[in-house]
Amino acid sequence: MGGIRNRIRDLRAAQTMTQQQLADAIGVTRQTVIAIEQDKYSPSLEVAFRIATLFQVPLEDVFQYDAAAVKAKK
Amino acid sequence: MNYQERTLYGTLIADLLVYVLYLWHPAKTNSLGWIAGSILVLIVAQIIVQSAIAIRTRNLLQDERDLLIRLRGYRAGYLTFVICIVSGLGLLWMHEAFGRINPNRMGIHFLSVMFGMLIVADVVRVVTQLIDYRRAA
Repeated sequence: MGGIRNRIRDLRAAQTMTQQQLADAIGVTRQTVIAIEQDKYSPSLEVAFRIATLFQVPLEDVFQYDAAAVKAKK
Repeated sequence: MNYQERTLYGTLIADLLVYVLYLWHPAKTNSLGWIAGSILVLIVAQIIVQSAIAIRTRNLLQDERDLLIRLRGYRAGYLTFVICIVSGLGLLWMHEAFGRINPNRMGIHFLSVMFGMLIVADVVRVVTQLIDYRRAA
């Protein structure tokens, strides 16, 4: 969805965390975590910050804006 | 399939069942009692179906994506309702103008059209939401 990419799958794998555990920790459903990981849904800022805080990394290490991909789509 | 999807399937089945029963009216004429009865049956069916699903589901969590999908569904349902009700009332007026409907029974036909359009709009709302859930959008 759009040009937002994320590294949640890698960060989660590094901590051997399941999608359900991540979902419970940030207060969303597992389906939402799946949609975010597949770049099909961009979470709200609040959820994005919760994810970054949980993995103890800056927000931009989790989410990146791919301007080139957006331009290519247009 | 999560809780939200289950409730949507429940709503869809209840909507379609009640409307099919409504259309199979034995007297084949509209009546206030039949329309009001159908709406009442629909409400009761929804309460029973949703309660049964809620009892059998452990995780009733609803998040921001569910709310977004719900909003998209309601927007699609509202647009459908507006378009259908205007078209339906236009057709009703045409039938009346050509003398195919008794003007004295216009009120009851209006209610019938309204009920039908409500069902159509609700089905569009539910299907839109289900598509969004299936697409993981």
